[in-house]
Amino acid sequence: MEGFGIGGGGGGGGGDDFPDFMGENLLDSIDFDDLFVGINDGDILPDLEMDTEILAEFSVSSGDESDVNNYSSSNNTFITTAIKNVERKEEIEKTGSFSASDVGSGLTTSLNQGEEIVSTQKSEESTLQVNQNIITPKESDKGKKSSKNNNLPGKRKVKVDWTPELHRRFVQAVEQLGVDKAVPSRILEIMGIDCLTRHNIASHLQKYRSHRKHLLAREAEAASWSHRRQLYGGAPAVGGGGGKREMNPWPAPTIGFPPPPLPPPMAPPMPHHFRPLHVWGHPSVDQSYMHIWPKHLAPSPSLQHPSPAWAPPPHLHPSPPSDPSFWHPHHQRVQNSLTPGTPYFPAPIAPTRYPAVHHPVPGIPPVSSHGMYKVDHSNIGVRSTATPPAQSLPKPPCDFHPSKESIDAAIGDVLSKPWLPLPLGLKPPAVDSVLGELQRQGVPKIPPTCA
Amino acid sequence: MGDSPASYIYMVQHLIEKCLIFHMTKEECIEALSKHANIKSVITVTVWNELEKENREFFEAYAKSHNKNRAIEAKAEVEAEVEASTMIQKLLLDHDHTKKSDRE
Repeated sequence: MEGFGIGGGGGGGGGDDFPDFMGENLLDSIDFDDLFVGINDGDILPDLEMDTEILAEFSVSSGDESDVNNYSSSNNTFITTAIKNVERKEEIEKTGSFSASDVGSGLTTSLNQGEEIVSTQKSEESTLQVNQNIITPKESDKGKKSSKNNNLPGKRKVKVDWTPELHRRFVQAVEQLGVDKAVPSRILEIMGIDCLTRHNIASHLQKYRSHRKHLLAREAEAASWSHRRQLYGGAPAVGGGGGKREMNPWPAPTIGFPPPPLPPPMAPPMPHHFRPLHVWGHPSVDQSYMHIWPKHLAPSPSLQHPSPAWAPPPHLHPSPPSDPSFWHPHHQRVQNSLTPGTPYFPAPIAPTRYPAVHHPVPGIPPVSSHGMYKVDHSNIGVRSTATPPAQSLPKPPCDFHPSKESIDAAIGDVLSKPWLPLPLGLKPPAVDSVLGELQRQGVPKIPPTCA
Repeated sequence: MGDSPASYIYMVQHLIEKCLIFHMTKEECIEALSKHANIKSVITVTVWNELEKENREFFEAYAKSHNKNRAIEAKAEVEAEVEASTMIQKLLLDHDHTKKSDRE
């Protein structure tokens, strides 16, 4: 660790950034005891992870807080930096000798900008002011863009201001590595910002991971809940998937992480006898979660994650049994049967062949098709007689001949989210029985290794 | 997807249930699963049969309602056919009339 060339590091050699520093001469004339009048001496911050080198370096001279007084208190840059340093400790009151020295270091680093060294006569006045300045503007500085560039790159434990931009780069790096594999040192490399230390990254990563868990938990819960609503309520539960986007984003780091402990994310209420089978779904669940969370983070912290390919297809509504779309086959059959000899029909019918399946209220498109029918042949008026009877027939349980797209969507949904509860909840067959039967059929094992 | 036989069977059951919701026939279901999920038909058949064994009542009702639906479908089909041919006849008649009137 390089020294500032004041106490430990030697005149100007180690202090590559401080060519202007006079060295010990100034220091000797400083009365350090007055510096920290307002600061509690003694206990070092508990959560402090100080490099002992820095401490030692500062302790060498008569005052580890050597440099604090070497500037005008009115110099905001110093204060800002000092504040940042102190902020990082979270408790300004506890600035012991260490933090003071840290302040000093931060302040000192700012000195390399070529600031003049204020004469030491001012030291005592500025001391008190420094203390107050350190304490008071702390809040105002919270939202400031990181001025970490003023500090020595990476060499001091500077308070890092996790701006949205910075956080975005962090998340990018983490994603690149993979959340679980993301190691602070690698993240640091990828981010390529000098002023961050591994420690900064590590603590931020920890917070990020815990926050993500909450997000995922909430997402899973809402997803399973909305899916259940889709299946059993028949109401378009699109909001379940879409609404998640209003969730709280990754909050500003300085505020902390609000989400209260969430109930366990899993376990949509499945029939009890399915629970044992449910367990295996977890690995894929995590995988799916990996896909889910970017959706939440994307809007707010101005992340540009592409949305994952799959999302609960909102249009997936295997029509509930009470769906009055029975007349569909009417149209479809018409097409099938009349095609050879009826040039009129295929045109009007074909586009409406499977309209209902895509709508949550399938009753509507059929009506429009009927209308179309009528329009085309209104002069004949034959159709109108057919319509009422068709609609007054007893409703069949569901619509027939679902479109390929809806089948595909339904199947895809099952394949991608195996943990979802069974829509009908039929009593499952005995595994042994199935396997036995399969063996007899000549299928030795499932899942088949060669599909 | 499932790595164990049990989970695989579970998945196939889930898929079949989805098809049932669509009121597909067994054959349609087999085809759909084979096409969209790469499930061998023999597996689908077996699981379907086993499910039927375990849920006889359901499948009986399902078959019944399916038949009913088919009947409705057929009826509607016939109706449509009748309508269509009637319409065509009418059109032809109109056309003839127009021609005749033109000549006159």
